[in-house]
Amino acid sequence: MISAIYNFALTTGANRVVRGARIEHVCGDPSLGPEKDHAYGMRIVTTALDALATPVARPTLFDPLAPGPTREAVHAS
Amino acid sequence: MSRPLRIVHYVNQFFAGIGGEDQAHVGVSVREGPVGPGRALQQALGDAAEVVATLVCGDNFMSERQADALAEIGAALRRLAPDAVVAGPAFGSGRYGLACAHVCRVAREQGIPAVAAMHPENPGATSFRRDVVIVPTGESAASMQPALERVARLALRLGRPEELGPAELEGYLPQGKRRVHDRGRPGWQRALDMLRAKLHGRPFTTEVPYNAPEQVMPAPPIADLTRATIAMVTTGGLVRKGNPERQSAANAVRYHRHSVASLESLTPEDWEAYHAGYFNHIVNKNPNYILPLSFLRELEKAGRVGHVHEHIYALPGVSTPVAGARELGRAIAQDLKHAGVDGALLVAT
Repeated sequence: MISAIYNFALTTGANRVVRGARIEHVCGDPSLGPEKDHAYGMRIVTTALDALATPVARPTLFDPLAPGPTREAVHAS
Repeated sequence: MSRPLRIVHYVNQFFAGIGGEDQAHVGVSVREGPVGPGRALQQALGDAAEVVATLVCGDNFMSERQADALAEIGAALRRLAPDAVVAGPAFGSGRYGLACAHVCRVAREQGIPAVAAMHPENPGATSFRRDVVIVPTGESAASMQPALERVARLALRLGRPEELGPAELEGYLPQGKRRVHDRGRPGWQRALDMLRAKLHGRPFTTEVPYNAPEQVMPAPPIADLTRATIAMVTTGGLVRKGNPERQSAANAVRYHRHSVASLESLTPEDWEAYHAGYFNHIVNKNPNYILPLSFLRELEKAGRVGHVHEHIYALPGVSTPVAGARELGRAIAQDLKHAGVDGALLVAT
């Protein structure tokens, strides 16, 4: 699930949660300008695909903004 | 005094005295009057109601040939025309508990009020307590007598028919529904009492119980994304421009499936958002923000994913009761599974 209100998704039991940009524009951010907007959206979607290929045991956050090639999965406590 | 209410009681093969697991295959039969625990139920009902018949079915028959079994139960209920149906108690027995819940649902579909009894952790209760009135019992038949007394009281109330009050007062499992009733004292006094109790570490009972969300077993990971078919679902209220399907902007009772097989991207000329829960104008300029078709097509061309599924699914995810949302989600998931989709991106606004 890609959602800007990712904490809500985690506490309601979604197992693979990807942090979206904002409620009004989940997969990107028009204020960044076309190029960066596209790059941001692409990062969100590729993070979501990586999440689908990652084993999880419980609601887990995948953050496209986390640095590094391997993005850290954060578990909901 | 009015005539006694007519009660039909459902029990499994064990409580009907037919036998244990070796007899769990027996089909539906109808006995006149009370059988097994039905006799104690009759005592608990007193003169106000009569157990006119007992429906019996083996637990395996009910779970393996459910449609047949419930059709027979339905036909028997139509013929017997009871004022209320009692099912169980099933205690901790899973198949029996599910059977009781299904029998109650069949009764309710005919407009006959029904009440079941079982342990709160019984799958029949965890799956159906929102739809069926269920009296909580212990795990074993040791709690038979108190269970039957509570069931009898509710069966009489439902059969008269009277509207039930809140679960906490009537003694059935909470259904996640609010019912209007007079608590005798104004809300601020009750709230202050609760606060005082909380600050002093004393026990108190909330009037707004927290319904913990159900846990879903995580799906196994996709082994190879480059061969996977990926679908997209959005609760962002995506509709075709002008909303020709007349989707609602909130509290959706249906979702829409659209083909995107021939599309590279969602354009604002053909798509827009119709959703009462957020500011739609940004999405209306670029609908891919709530359904990332343009990105997924790029990744498909680059060989990063196998295929983009030909259909997308959309509805507005706002003000929808959980029960309705669950049904919509289940239907979408079933459709995706049936189509052989390996994974889905759900964009939630």
